[in-house]
Amino acid sequence: MSRTDPATASGAQPAGSRAAAEAPGTTQQKHTMQQMGTTQQKGTAQQKGTAQSTGTGDTAARQAGSDLVFDDVSILYSSRTSRGDIPAVKNVTLELPAGGTLGIAGESGSGKSTLILSALRLLPHNATLTGQVLLGGTDIAELNFGQMRAVRWSQASIIFQGALHSLNPVRPVGKQILEALELHVKDDWRTDAARSTRMHELLGHVDLGPEIAKSYPHELSGGQKQRVMIAMALACDPDIIIADEPTTALDVIVQEQILTRLRELVEARGISLLMISHDLSVLAAACDRLAIMREGEIVELGPAEQVCNDPKEEYTRQLADAFPTIGDPDSRLNPMTRNPARITTDTPHEMTDEVVLAAENLNVTFSARGRTVRAVRNVDLTLHRSEILAVVGQSGSGKTTLARALLGLQPPDRGSTLTFHGKPLPTSAKGLRAFRRDVQMILQDPSGSLNPALSTYESVAEGLRVQKFTGDERQRVRESLESTELIPGEDFFEPIPQELSGGQRQRVVIASALALDPDILIADEPVASLDASVRGEILSLILALKKNLGLTALVITHDLGLAWNIADTVAVMYRGEIVERGPVEQVLLDPQHDYTRQLLAAVPSFRSQRASMTAPEAPGTTEQTGASQQGTTERTGAAEQSATERPDASRRTGDAAQVVDPQ
Amino acid sequence: MSVNAETEAADPQSADGREDIDAPPPGQSFGGYLLRKVGGALISLLMVVLLGFFAFRILPGDPVQKIARERQMSPEQMELLRAEYGLDKPLVVQFWDYLVGIFTGNLGTSYVYREPVSQLIAEYAWPTLLLTGSAAILAIGLGLWMGQLAAWKRGSLFDKLTTSTSLVFWSVPTFWLALLLLMIFAGRLQWLPTGGMVSPGVESGSLEHVVDVAKHLILPVITMTAVVYAQYLMVMRASLLGEMSADYLTTARAKGLREDDVRLKHAVPNALLPTVTLVFMHIGGLITGAVTVETVFSWPGLGKLTYEAISGPDLPLLQGTFVVFSSAIIIMNLLADLIYRQLDPRVRRA
Amino acid sequence: MAHSSTSQPGSSKTSPPGPPGTSQTSPATASGPASPRALAWNRRLAAAQKNWKVFLEDRAGVAGGIVLILVVLVAAFAPLIADRSMLDVTQNLDQPRYAPPSAEHPLGTDNYGRELWARLVWGARVSLIVGLAATAMSMIIGTIMGMAAGHFSGLFGGLIMRIIDFFLVLPSLLLAIVLSSVLERGVLTIVIAIGITSWAGTARIVRAQTLSAESRLYIERAKVLGAGHWHIIRTHLLPAVMPLVLANTTLTVGSAIIAESTLAFLGLGDTTQQSWGTILKNAMDVSAATSGYWWYILTPGLAIVAVVLAFTLVGRAIEAIANPTLRSR
Repeated sequence: MSRTDPATASGAQPAGSRAAAEAPGTTQQKHTMQQMGTTQQKGTAQQKGTAQSTGTGDTAARQAGSDLVFDDVSILYSSRTSRGDIPAVKNVTLELPAGGTLGIAGESGSGKSTLILSALRLLPHNATLTGQVLLGGTDIAELNFGQMRAVRWSQASIIFQGALHSLNPVRPVGKQILEALELHVKDDWRTDAARSTRMHELLGHVDLGPEIAKSYPHELSGGQKQRVMIAMALACDPDIIIADEPTTALDVIVQEQILTRLRELVEARGISLLMISHDLSVLAAACDRLAIMREGEIVELGPAEQVCNDPKEEYTRQLADAFPTIGDPDSRLNPMTRNPARITTDTPHEMTDEVVLAAENLNVTFSARGRTVRAVRNVDLTLHRSEILAVVGQSGSGKTTLARALLGLQPPDRGSTLTFHGKPLPTSAKGLRAFRRDVQMILQDPSGSLNPALSTYESVAEGLRVQKFTGDERQRVRESLESTELIPGEDFFEPIPQELSGGQRQRVVIASALALDPDILIADEPVASLDASVRGEILSLILALKKNLGLTALVITHDLGLAWNIADTVAVMYRGEIVERGPVEQVLLDPQHDYTRQLLAAVPSFRSQRASMTAPEAPGTTEQTGASQQGTTERTGAAEQSATERPDASRRTGDAAQVVDPQ
Repeated sequence: MSVNAETEAADPQSADGREDIDAPPPGQSFGGYLLRKVGGALISLLMVVLLGFFAFRILPGDPVQKIARERQMSPEQMELLRAEYGLDKPLVVQFWDYLVGIFTGNLGTSYVYREPVSQLIAEYAWPTLLLTGSAAILAIGLGLWMGQLAAWKRGSLFDKLTTSTSLVFWSVPTFWLALLLLMIFAGRLQWLPTGGMVSPGVESGSLEHVVDVAKHLILPVITMTAVVYAQYLMVMRASLLGEMSADYLTTARAKGLREDDVRLKHAVPNALLPTVTLVFMHIGGLITGAVTVETVFSWPGLGKLTYEAISGPDLPLLQGTFVVFSSAIIIMNLLADLIYRQLDPRVRRA
Repeated sequence: MAHSSTSQPGSSKTSPPGPPGTSQTSPATASGPASPRALAWNRRLAAAQKNWKVFLEDRAGVAGGIVLILVVLVAAFAPLIADRSMLDVTQNLDQPRYAPPSAEHPLGTDNYGRELWARLVWGARVSLIVGLAATAMSMIIGTIMGMAAGHFSGLFGGLIMRIIDFFLVLPSLLLAIVLSSVLERGVLTIVIAIGITSWAGTARIVRAQTLSAESRLYIERAKVLGAGHWHIIRTHLLPAVMPLVLANTTLTVGSAIIAESTLAFLGLGDTTQQSWGTILKNAMDVSAATSGYWWYILTPGLAIVAVVLAFTLVGRAIEAIANPTLRSR
């Protein structure tokens, strides 16, 4: 494996280092040869002989024209706990060629965020880096702190994950962009007036009006904040933009708009882009080359098309399979997974004609924050025995409210008819309690759905105790656990949620719903918070439960691929209304409603996206139709989102805080 | 206070209509906020007034007997006292008189001083304001500054020292620290006067007068500051520690800010906001501290008046100081809420 | 206290279904099937042991704990250490007044010739009893009010919020002064006066914790399962709130002791009982500070500081266990 000599690399005049030529203020050139050495250097020397990168087959392409090079980088978090030091990144060798685009895909905890923080020396104090990070040909370990600060943002800027928290909440966003310009003054913005003009230009580049500059982050939507973040990243004409999960937590349509805009801006300016995401399809849409990272190591590296369509590694295949291609018969009613759930019966249950739950002219109106929100409008829905119905819609479309109404958690408006086995839904507390035995719900996030203080057994038995179950509680708990393939059930009695993996937790949640032997299972985004490799397992389980036990399920999701994977029928929800419903094949392959088409077009899929890249005008037109259509509508959806999904937001941040383990 | 921020409703704001799915959240109107806060404060004031009546007219049974317990009194004298305080009237009439009195600024007559309570309070209020005001400014400045430094240098010697010092000060009863300082600096060393506000014979309004008052002020102010700054320090430290892992600080660092600027321009303004609420909440503690400190240093303020009302017992006077102190604190908290609203664009959740 | 296990990093590995993590597997699993309740108890025992270990690592907390044990022993055995007659003014007429500390009078004597150390020993009783009883009262009110404000919405929850806010803003000591002035003198009055005025801080913390637990999906899941208020409060809210209440209790005892001594100092205590505040009140009455009787002031105050500091240190150590995010602080 060839390795660039650090001295040569830093001494060479890198073609990619445009900032150095343009900006006399940037001083790293003068100082690169000085020994500003730190501990990192010593580490490199020790590491040299032994370390081998797993990113084989690619390093030969190394050349001086790279903007950003990770050369055999390992990062270790020292920790005071008994677990000792935690290696977050192991011998990673990667390069981002000048003007190129590179994506790093990996699940949570794969070390990808740690890796990109090292590019600007932003790692926390307890992290130790060995190996070399070359930025524009300069070993950043050799810069002193002042030089490092000069390099930051002017040479490489970062679009941080979840702009929600990455903008200072008490400063107007315009000032935050100005701050970057004031720190790195270049010829184009020497005066206050010039900086102000540039700031407004930057906002214009990301389709934001000048009035946004005075807004505080909390006054902006998720998409707007992300756009502000992009504008800020572009502020100082960097050579490199590093984007950390730039579209996570955004809706598909918004995500598509932002990715398109980012790609356009980067291409027009010749900026190199390093993007990391858990979502392979997002990366495929924006990057030419892809690296797959797992547990701190690069397991696969290559051109995006090859990595996605012809992965060499089993792990990459899992990630790719998590986003099925709609229309691909292989994945229809067949979620791809290494651990498919077993079908234990010779005569699998199929969807029947018997109506279990029906809604007619269902309306839900509630007042939130001083105004009335019509979250669900004129919805007609029938759920048959052993049917899996997917309700697909973006956040704010009213799908969660619909589920809550079907469960009797949210009272519907007068004139709505909800029937369960032909009888109206009970309204009394007692009647509702009995009804809840028959209709169970699986909530979005398994980590939040289980009380961290209760063991699996207690969680599964909770429903039995609430419903005063008279049979053998222990046996029922075991059976429920085993029906979700937690076998033998006894082994899973004791652990508390923290001792289980994400997939196991979701199985426990499903088991606790199954313990009550419900007629219907309503699942709200059952796999949205799970890692891609676990997604298939859980979907396969839901499908198997239907086949084995004849389960009826209503699955709420934003993910059209999920519907393609497991559902018999699909209902597309848009602003409280069901705009299209029918058998999955019919709706997804031959969509009739504009919105369904729009949703399908926005789904980032590497196969279709490859095609759209050859015809670059395609994404632009979709965005335009999207914007014009949305401009005419009311904002009911957003209010519903803020009213009903607020707890989710706080929970998400809570969970994020829990993920401390970089493994 | 902002502790009930969750229950606050927000008013709709005009939509920009750009993105429906991706719409910004609705904001809050200032009018609604003001109305809610002022309304809340008015309810609290009403509760103070009710509590004043309840505590002084209903709880003690017969207030006159309470007063008479400490001294010899004939039944005739007690009857006379009852008539004087209107205690022979039905409770409803007493309550009405009390309400009318409160709203007309008539808080009754002090039993010990034989003067209107409102007049006494007006007279004694300024020294207390001087004392608590100076102590509050010192304590807030010192506490917040040291708190943010300690948090930023978490685990350093400075942090350990300031944290343990403030823990000790937190555990010290105010009056004991006052006695200790009095003993050392006024008793043993005789550097400073032992009590009062002005030495006898000093001409009012002269420079000498100002210096003399300042000398008298030193020990009480140090006492009150020492006990209260520790709480502010801990609050500020905890608040900044909570912000230290915030993502926007990483953004600021990535932009190339100096560490000091990251702290002072980004971290501290955010950490300061929840602190403001707590600082004002602790103002109540400052005022109760005044009771013992003024007692020890014979500082002629409301605290000393309260002490004299206790030892009287002079219930009308105690009632008066209670109502005035409590109302002042409620109004200060209202001001804090309004300032907070100006400082925090989000009116953050507590 | 099983809560603290949330701090265990690394248990969220993504692995295919298989035996779960065994970090806390109790011996019971190996020795054949045990009842789930026994398993749960074993886990709690293990968690308690782990928390105990964490506590032992906090040196300040351990030091505070030792001081507390000593003070409790002294208070409990006060009659054996110092005979009650040593407190009787009439039986100490032959003793020197204002004797400075010496071999004969280790901590000096007061204005009646009583040994200060004897008064301190007896004073520990009242200080501790008042501190603990008032705290217990304050905790019970605070927990109930806080949970009610967090769990119930609508008018009822709003009303409770209003009351909490009121007591939060109102200076508690001032109200305690008022209450103990108008009620009959006695230890019980002091306990009530402190207990009834100091709960708002606890209620605020409990409310915040309840709200955060309330927003968890497992509460929603329990509702879907058909659970009522009582089930949710007992199974989910109370266990989530208790560790913080426990930590807060220890911290509140300290403030209650200070409040007691302040009330006693202002002459509102039970004059028939010894208390550290009463000793200081006596000291001030004879102008000990300006007359040079330093021992009369120093030792009772040091006793208060030591005990309050001890409670504070122990409380902080417990808080760090109950709320692991604080641990790094």
